[in-house]
Amino acid sequence: MSSRRPRSRASTGASRISDEQISDLVAKLQALLPEARLRSSDRMPSSRVLQETCSYIRSLHREVDDLSDRLSELLATSDVSTAQAAIIRSLLM
Amino acid sequence: MQGRNCTTGKSSTAFKQELLKNLLRGLRARTDACAFSAMSVHERKRAVKSSADVAMAAARGVGARWPKAILAAAAASTSSNRSSCQVRSSRFRRVARRCFFREKRRGPAAGVAAASSVDVARRLVRRRTMALRKVIPGGDAAMDEASLLREAMDYVVHLRAQVDVLRRVSEAMQIRSSLLRYAPSSIHGQEASSSMRQ
Repeated sequence: MSSRRPRSRASTGASRISDEQISDLVAKLQALLPEARLRSSDRMPSSRVLQETCSYIRSLHREVDDLSDRLSELLATSDVSTAQAAIIRSLLM
Repeated sequence: MQGRNCTTGKSSTAFKQELLKNLLRGLRARTDACAFSAMSVHERKRAVKSSADVAMAAARGVGARWPKAILAAAAASTSSNRSSCQVRSSRFRRVARRCFFREKRRGPAAGVAAASSVDVARRLVRRRTMALRKVIPGGDAAMDEASLLREAMDYVVHLRAQVDVLRRVSEAMQIRSSLLRYAPSSIHGQEASSSMRQ
């Protein structure tokens, strides 16, 4: 209708720069997604990247929850300081 | 070269080490207050999850917004002593799921006459941006889209590191508890000397 398509409402003068900046950030975000590693450099639409990022974050949250649950079970029977020794010994990093 | 917010290689290891250190410290502090064996299953899970999140946030420091949001929420929950942390995170997930379903049901531009494809695309981006804000701690604060995208990248990278650290800790402890079961003498002598040193 009236406006073109300024992604950023901030200032119409800078909207072109913002568009490029945003699409650059979207591309970087896409590169982090697990699917992106399979599909080399095909650009996904922003909405897709946002959706995939959302579900990726949620799946990472689930992983953290599951691992925390497992860890809490282990901690019920072992105390932390001996766990510490085990961890250091296994040379994690 | 990745963006300056992405931690790869050396700085990722440094972050994980910091996270691990914070995690162990945090768990120890909690266990000093109340032994894990004395807690209910639910309390214990919440305590570990909270320690993991606080450890991650503290290790990240000031370079992003989400750590502050996590630490603020953790502080609020310790003062109220209810499971508000859990409520927050499950609320995030519940709202995000609701948003997703709402999207599916309404379909493309239902009830809007003559919407251009640009309008539809923009609306979809806006909806998905809102959903993204809800899964990032502190994401619902006022910030422009560029900042939100940077936050998302930063958060994803550090979440992955948190997953990695938690996995390694669980595995190390699992190995240890298996060893205790099958070869207790191999552990016992070493444990005794190292715990005395500590």
